[in-house]
Amino acid sequence: MKKELIQGFDGYNEIISEIQVCRKYGTDFTLDKGLVEDCITRLHPVRMRLQVSEIIDETDSAKTFRLVSREQDLPPFQAGQYLSLFVETGGIRTSRPYSICSPPNQTGYYEITVRRVNNGLVSGYLLDQVKRGDVLESSGPCGLFHYNPIFHDKTMVCIAGGSGITPFMSMIQEVVDCGIDRTLYLFYGNRSSNDVIFHDRLRSIAEKSDNIRYIPVIEEPEEGYEGAKGLITGGLIKDVIGDINGKTFYLCGPQAMYDFCLKELEQLSVPARKTRREVYGAPVNAADQPGWPKEIKEDQVFSVKVNENSTFETVAGQPLLAALEKNGLKVPSRCRSGQCSMCRVKLVSGKVFQPSDTPVRRSDRRFGYVHSCVSYPLENLEIVI
Amino acid sequence: MKDYDTIVVGAGNGGLSAGLTLAMNGLKVLILERHNIPGGSATSFCRGRFEFEVALHQLSGMGTAERPGPLRGLLGRLGVMDDVEFTEMSDLYRVFIPGKLDITLNADRAEVVETLQANFPEEKEAIAKFFDLVYGYAMELYTFFKNPAPSRDRFPLVHRYAFKSAGEVLDEFFKNPLLKAVPGAYWGYIGLTPNRLPFSYLAMLFFSYIEFRPCHIKGGSQSLSNALANRFMASGGSIRYNCGVKRIVVKDGKAEGVITDNDEEITAENVVSNASKVATYVELIDREHVPDDVLTEMGGRTASPSGFNVYLGLDCEPEDLGITVSTNFILPDEDLSDKHFNRMRELSTENNLVAFSCYDVADPEFSPKGTCQAALVTLKYIEPWLQVPLHQYAKVKYECANHMIDRMELLCPNVRDHIEEVEIGTPLTFMRYLGSPRGAIYGFEQYNKDSLFFEAPRVSSIKGLYTAGGWVTDCGFEPTLKSGVSAAGSIMRALKA
Repeated sequence: MKKELIQGFDGYNEIISEIQVCRKYGTDFTLDKGLVEDCITRLHPVRMRLQVSEIIDETDSAKTFRLVSREQDLPPFQAGQYLSLFVETGGIRTSRPYSICSPPNQTGYYEITVRRVNNGLVSGYLLDQVKRGDVLESSGPCGLFHYNPIFHDKTMVCIAGGSGITPFMSMIQEVVDCGIDRTLYLFYGNRSSNDVIFHDRLRSIAEKSDNIRYIPVIEEPEEGYEGAKGLITGGLIKDVIGDINGKTFYLCGPQAMYDFCLKELEQLSVPARKTRREVYGAPVNAADQPGWPKEIKEDQVFSVKVNENSTFETVAGQPLLAALEKNGLKVPSRCRSGQCSMCRVKLVSGKVFQPSDTPVRRSDRRFGYVHSCVSYPLENLEIVI
Repeated sequence: MKDYDTIVVGAGNGGLSAGLTLAMNGLKVLILERHNIPGGSATSFCRGRFEFEVALHQLSGMGTAERPGPLRGLLGRLGVMDDVEFTEMSDLYRVFIPGKLDITLNADRAEVVETLQANFPEEKEAIAKFFDLVYGYAMELYTFFKNPAPSRDRFPLVHRYAFKSAGEVLDEFFKNPLLKAVPGAYWGYIGLTPNRLPFSYLAMLFFSYIEFRPCHIKGGSQSLSNALANRFMASGGSIRYNCGVKRIVVKDGKAEGVITDNDEEITAENVVSNASKVATYVELIDREHVPDDVLTEMGGRTASPSGFNVYLGLDCEPEDLGITVSTNFILPDEDLSDKHFNRMRELSTENNLVAFSCYDVADPEFSPKGTCQAALVTLKYIEPWLQVPLHQYAKVKYECANHMIDRMELLCPNVRDHIEEVEIGTPLTFMRYLGSPRGAIYGFEQYNKDSLFFEAPRVSSIKGLYTAGGWVTDCGFEPTLKSGVSAAGSIMRALKA
């Protein structure tokens, strides 16, 4: 502002000399160069290069990968959080989230446990091709599935299915290793005894520790099996934990387990805010989801036009993100379960199926943005990424 | 031939309004945004069934269709009024000092005066006079800038009060410290305690919020960001998300384009930086091209505090918690001195001023039926957070958040029985998402020496480089949106010249 206009204001001279003093002895912002990135990378690196230092066989179909960094201290995480691994295999660049199963107090490495998925692109790659010494690209630790002292109860009722055990393995070890005042019931469902990951470790931890209760549940047990059988029912949960009050319930496992167990918890009158559910990937059989239009078959072919310049064909049963990746298009991704919104793309025309509980921002819905990892084409699409 | 007429770095309020204005004027514009969504601070995030508002508490300057405020006019010219819905808040705020004071001010001048007079009858006259001054000052200020030779006779209040702190003026008018604390409570919106806050800002806040009513946006501030981005694309603009800029290319004293994080060089006649001023001149432009006067001017300034925010998703209606007002300030005491200023430099959130907003009061559709959300905010400088050992970070974060909820419990004793979702933003969170130095949320601090009368020139001696956003103007939604339009105006004028 022109000096003539304000020099008559009361206190003008004092302010001018204040400005001069501040400039003389003030902040040298050039020293801030790189500071923001340095501070943030320590906690939330965008990418990390992690080296596989050990590969441990767990079951016939699962291995644990121990990951170390040669470049930075591993950022801390909260037990239950996951890493997203970025891999390129079979000419496709994609990502997969894996819960960290080592405890946060183990600061030297992260461990993830990978179980083979039928025809799984990435699980196959990790289990069959990755060797000790290989370097994997990863996100920083992230995710919302962890104990929150602000509103979670100190008694945790954990319900795991199959490879959904991994976040709980981290939580259990932390509670035991660090002597945390928390009680944890673990109901761990598997089809057969052979599928149970960490069984011996869990049993031994539970034997030694008063605040860990381990209840394996086998759906199709072999003859003579004496433990809990069938599914994780409300009756079984109630028998073991007694009063449902003062407890927070955590679920991690496949959709079928959620469909069953959430109803069981509801029948036990567990309030919604006491139930935490880890995201577990896009629905495998999209057409079975409530709200899927009956007339569309999963193998129905649709075209997708991207950014007005390239077009490819895909099928209704395949999430849009996976289709984009197969066609060499880069879209950022992280949770691949509809939650984190990283893979948000704009739908210019056409219709997709997105599970109704996908947390899409209200104004994103209004302007046609979808979370591509859980969006299934129901028509020919035009999108902008 | 350049790739674009203008490249805009960052899709915050300033970047979006600059880009949109230029695109509407027929320019070929590219907006580059590092994040996957537009808005910068004007954004939201989802947790469970809640969509949490990040930054907007009370939108100023909207007014009504019949009596439009300056922001309504601006958004109308940007063509987004059909795409966004606003809700008006009937209250300014509630001030609560445990055991001492509980006052709610409605957004109406006569009612504000009456309410204060009813509570402080012994200072009845002073209260009326104070608001006469606030209004008189604001009216003078509006015409001051348009007057070619504004004399002391014509603008006596501006001449007398422009460089006074809010605290000095409150002391001049009022005796009871509790009374001073009520209008003083708005200091959190600028980030300086009343003894440091320019009176100009306090006066403008009251004038604008009373005259044009505080507003909020249906669907939160993300709705406005999305609407601006949508209109920008519809006007022929291109926007790339997940695409950060690592350098603004300057050749022979002229901005020539940018280099993206993927090492792609994109050329343009002009560059508008909506990054912080510090990032623009320290991170994005090589030192050899940065004019010394820019660094000298910045050197006299300080970064504003960051915030410590707790977002609560609650499984009940606001009234179940006794929440009747959208904006609530919970003060530990009536002290307006440096005590509060110094608390912003501490890690602990005990005894901090907590602003808590519940948008569901004015807009019952803001959160899902039968629920509501509360945003608890206190201001914090980042420095103590940089000293927290990394493995203690989560623990400290929860402790501080718990103390904030303790403060809220003073007003809503049963809030803890209804928590369904919680998210916490620390100064490091703001630094991460805004990329701002020191995690500052209000740009540079706005002491009198930094106030509107001393605003640094937004056009630097680097030709073709323009700036917009909270670091080059006053902080807040209305000023940052204006700053983008103004940067675009400078470009259009330069083109015509």
